[in-house]
Amino acid sequence: MKKTLVLIFVGVLIGAFMGFMGGTSGASSIVIGVDTPPRTMNPHGSDADANLQVMANIFEGLLQRKAPDGRLVPALAERYEHPDLVTWKLYLRKGVKFHNGNPFTAQDVKFSFERLSNPDVSEFVNTGKSIASIEVIDDYTVVIKTKTPTPWFANNLHQLYMMDKESTEARDPGEVETKPIGTGPYKMVEWIKGSYVKFTANEDYWEGAPPIKNVELRPITESSTRFAALASGQVDMVSGVPVELYEKVVKDKNLEVVKIPARRSIFLPFGNKPGTPMADIRVRKAMYMAINEDEIIEKIMRGHASPAAQIPDPPTIGYNPALERLPYSLETAKKLMKEAGYEKGFEVTLTGPNDRYIMDEQIAEAVAKYLAKIGIKVKLDVKPKSIFFPEVSQGKLEFYLIGWFDGTFDMGRSYLKLIHTRDMEKGFGEFNGANFSDPEIDALLESTAGMVDQEKRKKVLQDLNKMAMVDKIAVIPLHYQVDLYAVQKGKGIKFTPRPDRWIVYKEISK
Amino acid sequence: MLTYVARRLIQGFVVLLAVSFICFIIFRYTGDPVVTLAGRYATFQEREEVRRAYGLDKPFYVQYVRFVINAARGRFGKSYVSRVPALGLILERLPATVELATSAIVISFCLGVGLGVLVSLKPYAARNRLIMAGSLFGISIPTFLTGILLIMIFAVYLGALPSFGRGETVNIGYWRTGFLTLSGISHLILPAFTLGMYQLAVLLRLTRAGMREILGEEYIKTAWSKGLPPRKVIFKHGLRNALIPVVTMTGLQFGELIAFSIVTETIFQWPGMGNLLLTSIYETDQPVIVTYIMLAALIILTINIVVDILYAFLNPKIRYD
Repeated sequence: MKKTLVLIFVGVLIGAFMGFMGGTSGASSIVIGVDTPPRTMNPHGSDADANLQVMANIFEGLLQRKAPDGRLVPALAERYEHPDLVTWKLYLRKGVKFHNGNPFTAQDVKFSFERLSNPDVSEFVNTGKSIASIEVIDDYTVVIKTKTPTPWFANNLHQLYMMDKESTEARDPGEVETKPIGTGPYKMVEWIKGSYVKFTANEDYWEGAPPIKNVELRPITESSTRFAALASGQVDMVSGVPVELYEKVVKDKNLEVVKIPARRSIFLPFGNKPGTPMADIRVRKAMYMAINEDEIIEKIMRGHASPAAQIPDPPTIGYNPALERLPYSLETAKKLMKEAGYEKGFEVTLTGPNDRYIMDEQIAEAVAKYLAKIGIKVKLDVKPKSIFFPEVSQGKLEFYLIGWFDGTFDMGRSYLKLIHTRDMEKGFGEFNGANFSDPEIDALLESTAGMVDQEKRKKVLQDLNKMAMVDKIAVIPLHYQVDLYAVQKGKGIKFTPRPDRWIVYKEISK
Repeated sequence: MLTYVARRLIQGFVVLLAVSFICFIIFRYTGDPVVTLAGRYATFQEREEVRRAYGLDKPFYVQYVRFVINAARGRFGKSYVSRVPALGLILERLPATVELATSAIVISFCLGVGLGVLVSLKPYAARNRLIMAGSLFGISIPTFLTGILLIMIFAVYLGALPSFGRGETVNIGYWRTGFLTLSGISHLILPAFTLGMYQLAVLLRLTRAGMREILGEEYIKTAWSKGLPPRKVIFKHGLRNALIPVVTMTGLQFGELIAFSIVTETIFQWPGMGNLLLTSIYETDQPVIVTYIMLAALIILTINIVVDILYAFLNPKIRYD
């Protein structure tokens, strides 16, 4: 008798637990599991994409980018004019209100742009300091002048979010960091750090209220736990499905995988200091041709990557469709090494992060093995990204693995950081970690700085890209990553991934 | 007794200073926060400006002295990542960790001591040998494997328990508790078992060893021959004396569970301090890391002192004079 009672009690308990688990998924709500927790609710406080994409739901820029291709369309500005090289005249949307009821006006634009250059609250110091003046013509017209011609100014406007001047100034800075007030399609309801962020639809949103009314964002950093949460039905969709779990997700009949080529490319920059082996372009070419990229994609990335012949991806200005990877050929590579006088090889250190890109450490290991076949002794030095990136920015490295994509969709800006000679004065080459230097590349790159005409700019950047990738071999491009998402099948969730990896809730429907 | 406590407190203070100094030295080699703080596209000059704005251009000893002075006033600086006070960020996560660690220690103490006593009574019975063999697994299987196995079995295949997070919580003042809702408790079971597994095995083996030794003592034989009921012999005469090392161990372990439940919290996405620490390490958030380690040192020191004092109550023979 007693035993039966205990059994019944246990049964009731288990039943109750299971009841609780299916709790949150109502008719128009969705639970999203992501790999990186949001860092702050201050829209200028982090320039990491993991944070910018969360902010994109609460705040808005003057322009916005739309799925599926990331094309730039109006948001808080209805249109803009670009009368001369440094001037941008923006016409603001009327009748937009912040979540606290304050109207959105030109004063808010001025305030938000000025806030960018304050390092206490902003990681967009560079953008903030590039602005010479912000002039408020009337409530809905603003003229922004940059210090130097900035061709990518408009391309960046989707991630420079507008804040409410009145409430941001009136509130305690700590509250501004945790309780966001924007104009966006969702209002933040509650943020329990490490647990969840809850959003509710902004019914007064100027584009119309979004279809999903309640969104719960759940950061789950451990990838197997993220998979378990999805498989057990606790979350409706996840981003960042690891390649090792891909087969499992595909086999699960309740789940559906959504794939999209990612914007980020993985590549290997090297230094060309005169007197070192890699100063000889034949050696750089030999290293390029000795790496079997197809095998890396097949064996390490398990097919979830596509070969890259350059750093920019197709939607980026400067992408050159004519470029192709140098073919894999050990014989040619060996011949080139012999011609260069390095038949016996040399020693080089390959540095890379082990917690940043998909399979980063394994790729570095594979590269070391390939290069050993042409006699190059590679010393591997993989380390956490928090140590690796400062080393890159200090220019301490010889040969390293890194990934990149440009949030402004303009390669000129990124190439100035990545392959221009390091120059403290002019502020170029901050991420040129192995001190690659080529006067022709530098000259052509600097000539694009004032080039705002998009067609002409595209042409020159494409030529520059060819020069850097083919004629000079400034880096060895490897592959573009693929972003993998998984969605619960039976719930009718319609989700179109974007090339920039952002999950924008107003673009999801059910 | 009072002089003893005072001496321990002074020692503790010196230890805290030493810990902070070591932290500071180590974090000079764990990456440069300015690279992230200034943003991806910052120029060299802009980076230096940011470095000055955060006082990171000052020499090491200046930064350290400033840190100690501020810490003495209870100010531990702002997080580089979320730009709010680091101490507040950690304390916000404290309830989750304390509840998890408490549940884990209660589970492992009750089960560990209970099973330990059981096993010590008939050490050669087949069932008890099985328990001992099981305890070996508890000691040798790493936490992340236990955690993932439990998730796979109970959350994915059986669907009986949730796989991550804290479930529904209730706020009592500043304390956000998961103990008061069914969902909160169901979310607690798997991580608490995972975290307590190792401790359970250790306490079990410790209790068994202590009990085996004490049950062979002359005064226990006297107690049996006096005709005392088994309950009295085993618990009052036996267990009470065997408990001293067990209590020490539990106390030490409890401090460590609070301070270093990082692996378990990461696997179960438990929103506690360990989870925060790991995220902060990934993001080179030095103020949070240093504050965390100081707080962890403080917790462990306090618990050690409390355990030492508890001895005196458990065993009146022990005096601190």
